[in-house]
Amino acid sequence: MKLRIGVLAILGVAVVTAVAIGLMAGFIVRAHRQALLAQLMQGADQISETIGSSTFYDMLENRRPALHREIVTIGSQKGIELVRLFNGAGRIQFSSIDADSGRMMAKASPACAGCHASEPPLEKLPTSARAHVVRAADGTRVLGMIRPIYNETRCWNAGCHAHRREEAVLGVLDVHLSLAEADRRIAADQRKMILLALLAIAASSLLLWYLNERLVVRPVEELIAGTRKVAAGDLHTTIPATAGHELGDLARAFNDMTRRLGEAQRQLTQADKLASVGRLAAGVAHEINNPLTGVLTYASFLQKRLQDRPEMAQDCEVIVRETKRCRDIVRGLLDFSRQTPPQHQPTDLNEIVRRGVAVVMNQLVLRSVALDFALADRLEPVPADANQIQQVVVNLIMNAADAIGDDGGTIFLATRPVDVPARGSTVIRTARCPKGCDLVDPGTRIGRYPGIRVLRRQEDRDTLVHLDPVYGRCNHRASEPLESGVVASYACPRCRTRLDVPERRCGECGSPVFAVNAGERGRVEWCTRKGCHWTRCEALDAQGPQRFVELSVRDTGKGIAPEDLDHLFEPFFTTKGHRGLGLGLAVTWGIVEGHSGTIDVTSEPGLGARFVVRLPQAAPQAAAQAPPPAGAADADTRGAA
Amino acid sequence: MNGPWDVLVIDDEAVVRDAVQLILGAEGWRVAAVEDAPSALAHEALATCRLVLCDMMLPGQGGLELVREARRRRPDVPIVLITGFATAENATRAIDAGASAFLAKPFDDTELLNQVRSVLERTGDAGKEGRP
Repeated sequence: MKLRIGVLAILGVAVVTAVAIGLMAGFIVRAHRQALLAQLMQGADQISETIGSSTFYDMLENRRPALHREIVTIGSQKGIELVRLFNGAGRIQFSSIDADSGRMMAKASPACAGCHASEPPLEKLPTSARAHVVRAADGTRVLGMIRPIYNETRCWNAGCHAHRREEAVLGVLDVHLSLAEADRRIAADQRKMILLALLAIAASSLLLWYLNERLVVRPVEELIAGTRKVAAGDLHTTIPATAGHELGDLARAFNDMTRRLGEAQRQLTQADKLASVGRLAAGVAHEINNPLTGVLTYASFLQKRLQDRPEMAQDCEVIVRETKRCRDIVRGLLDFSRQTPPQHQPTDLNEIVRRGVAVVMNQLVLRSVALDFALADRLEPVPADANQIQQVVVNLIMNAADAIGDDGGTIFLATRPVDVPARGSTVIRTARCPKGCDLVDPGTRIGRYPGIRVLRRQEDRDTLVHLDPVYGRCNHRASEPLESGVVASYACPRCRTRLDVPERRCGECGSPVFAVNAGERGRVEWCTRKGCHWTRCEALDAQGPQRFVELSVRDTGKGIAPEDLDHLFEPFFTTKGHRGLGLGLAVTWGIVEGHSGTIDVTSEPGLGARFVVRLPQAAPQAAAQAPPPAGAADADTRGAA
Repeated sequence: MNGPWDVLVIDDEAVVRDAVQLILGAEGWRVAAVEDAPSALAHEALATCRLVLCDMMLPGQGGLELVREARRRRPDVPIVLITGFATAENATRAIDAGASAFLAKPFDDTELLNQVRSVLERTGDAGKEGRP
């Protein structure tokens, strides 16, 4: 991959650069050569004109030796290869090279061809046509420049009578200049050009290699490494998504995909665990229900027969009651994977706490755990399943005792009525877009509740955002970091319908707001500006604080590590090693959920933990009930009813 | 104890059979108890009893099969199915097979008596002194 993309791109760019620079260099060298030649021609023309005018009188007065001398002198100058003079018939009369004199010029020779190529021969030629380039014996190039010597009155009047009046051209002066120096300069220029072209190709290839390495190869290698890790089963892999271009987007999309895969895998694993528990529970139910039937029927039969022995009848009653509790635990375990609604009866929480404590008292004494009660004087009955809530009480007390360990400590139990505002406690469990798409995403939980999935659209960048389902809490989670203070539009991630409510404004910063449909709670609105925590649900706000009864269980144990707090209520999560199955708090949470209550935990490591259970005073409304589980994905919301 | 029998109970667990015999016997009912379906089908009580109590999970032929056969032989007799899996699904299957009622294990004496009395009342077979 790396080799192919990089090498292909570099090769491509090198070829294109070479062709472009080669063409350009060729054009420049050619123009340069032409300019140089033109300059040389002009020089040759001037020289030949100088020779012509300085020898004019020697020719006119027929001073042949002087003429010869002059031609030889000029011809020996540096850069001048040859000066010769031939007559109209083509015989060389004078030449700076002696061997040349007296030879006849061929009409096809470069010096003659300019005029004699046509018939009758031309008499006048432009400068460029008078020039011709020939190759000298030593291989160097030579520029020849001819200059016709025209007949003048003085010539045919002269005393030598050498020329007749009718002749137009009396002879030709031919000057040869060496092009060796010029050719050397041109060759040097060509070498420079080639060198520059090679440098440019190398530089552009290098730059391309660097850019490719940095912008493509490295991110792609990271992607490949990440993909290999994911393929090998590591779904916690994230790859750095620092690049601002498409590969960065790809990396972000990859990370998002991996995260979702991880969540899906966790849910599958959890569903698998739950299925195991279901099978286990079924087996346990079958095996244990028969002996329990024996204990229960005999004990209840005995109890009736002992009406005249009240103290023994009371003991029998304990056997009957606790056997029924065993029965309910078995049913609870069975129902852990098969949700059944709790049987609500008006129930006194204090009474249930006392009953729960009675069940575990012996164990607490054995473990040197003291109990401190601060029960409210009088609590209004709450609609609850007494057996389930007793299970909650027992679970929380035993959990606290386990946290205290063998060194002893104190468990503080307290009950009280409490008025809780909707903000910060009510969980929004129904959320739909205007077209009815379900926005609740059990795959992404914030705290312990499924987030509300919306699409944040800022310019052309879309980001998935999970809204905190706890009303007023605003611990939203975005799939990538968002710039604070920026207002954006929101839409349904499925049908892309806009969620914006144009006629409403944020109560804090005045920005536009968006809303989802929360079923019977009407509309829940949020501010569209990132960082603004304004939210409003008129139905919840209008309903005012709700009365709950609260049970708090505090221990002086070792406390809970902050990273464990979020997982505490997940099935099979345990910090007790082999001592715990990890179902106690999951069942507890399920029961409290089934009662539309809340359970929260606060802890400081080393200073113990405090669990707070709140049960609503008012009969749970249908709207407050969790929707029935649609699949294994939300199996951990199933209550142990 | 020999017939005529009031009740036939079928359960593979001895303690459950004993418990039913104890509680219903204390009410004056004559209870025949067997541990599996073939024994039940061979037992004379099946032809004459006024109530059948049958466990849902029996070795070999299941309880539902037995309920179907018993219902075929005795279209009018109330049949109560006993099960450790008290789910709505199982209840539906039991009623479909011909059971008159459904009793979840584990039960106490009151629950057993209430269920038995209620099915007998429904079928108009509540005899004198609460006996079938």
